[in-house]
Amino acid sequence: MKSIDIIHAEHRALAAVLQALRAVVAEIRAGQLQPDFQLLSAMVDYITQLPEKVHHPKEDQLLFPLLRARSAKAAELIARLQEQHLQGERMTLALMQSLIHYQSLGSAGFAAFDALVQQYLDFNWTHLNLEEKELLPIARAVLSAHDWQELDAALSANADPFSGAKGEFEALFRKIVQLTPAPYGLG
Amino acid sequence: MAELLQLEGVWAGYGEAVVLEDIGFTLEAGSSLALLGRNGMGKSTLLATLMGATRFKSGRMTFEGRALSAVAPHARAGLGLGWVPQERDIFASLTVEENLSVVARPGPWHLQRIYAMFPRLQERRANMGNQLSGGEQQMLALARALMVNPKLLLLDEPLEGLAPLIVQELLRIIGEMLSSGDMSVILVEQHAQQVLPLTQQALVLERGRVVYCGASEALRADRSQLDKWLGVGAH
Repeated sequence: MKSIDIIHAEHRALAAVLQALRAVVAEIRAGQLQPDFQLLSAMVDYITQLPEKVHHPKEDQLLFPLLRARSAKAAELIARLQEQHLQGERMTLALMQSLIHYQSLGSAGFAAFDALVQQYLDFNWTHLNLEEKELLPIARAVLSAHDWQELDAALSANADPFSGAKGEFEALFRKIVQLTPAPYGLG
Repeated sequence: MAELLQLEGVWAGYGEAVVLEDIGFTLEAGSSLALLGRNGMGKSTLLATLMGATRFKSGRMTFEGRALSAVAPHARAGLGLGWVPQERDIFASLTVEENLSVVARPGPWHLQRIYAMFPRLQERRANMGNQLSGGEQQMLALARALMVNPKLLLLDEPLEGLAPLIVQELLRIIGEMLSSGDMSVILVEQHAQQVLPLTQQALVLERGRVVYCGASEALRADRSQLDKWLGVGAH
């Protein structure tokens, strides 16, 4: 898989889990679903760890430096995106803490968790859209064939968005698919 | 690799209406082909034509060197063609395991291997077909087609209408199926970017005609043609 496909595929994997999280939390809010903390923990774990350990390092260490050197417009955008990466890490940490509170307090802890989930989802859709609709088109336009070869070689070392470098995320993703209730998952 | 399927100058449609015009391509044994195009361009009709479910007007279709148009539709599965239509068509009144066992034919795909690939189906093996969710039904439809041990598997938009989480899981499974090399696969899909990385060859239909037939990787790299032929489906 080429580097740009890898980035798109990782975005899709993240978006799939975010979409399922939104649906599950909406059903809990509507009283149609009892909270499954094993599932919620797996989802929060995935959206915390996959970006931090697999996805953002590819962008921050490989794609962004190359693109920054090729385009002033991209450099400005990258500064915003890198700030968002840091903000995303802070938000997922808050989300994890809020989930622990929710689990300890029971239904009294749901409102705070729900609010943070919505905030995180809004933030992340904006971030993913910015990369998909603004950054990657610039990359396609300004990077040379040699740049792409360099990126392809570097990124192919960890090409599978579901498995991670040591296959650690494949089981987590499958667990989420199994536990998420139908029609969003197979649970 | 040996040639499995060959079409030359195929014209086909429904009744008097012609949908496919002058279709030609070759598929080798063990290889995979993404069949792409916007809605209504003839992708499903091409699969239906291979299965004998349309009116074949002219041209040449051979499967392992044998003229396919001379084989009755009901006998084509026996030749080694497996079809997973969009409607899934699983047996609602049979259990999951019965759905799988009733079609089983000798070959590399057997119940144990199917359950290893679809652990969810093993968990649900005693459930009736109509008790499954949409995602589970699609898994069963795929698994049932594998149990026939086809030489050529035709998948018609297997991801259509499913939630993103299940789409990702099915893409992983389809990727495993394709890389096993046990059979040839023609995969119809709207979303090129999801299937081009999985397949070796691609064929794009526009108004019933072939506008691209070549390597998936070359098509993937050609953004302007992808946008032109597939629009939003390219992304």
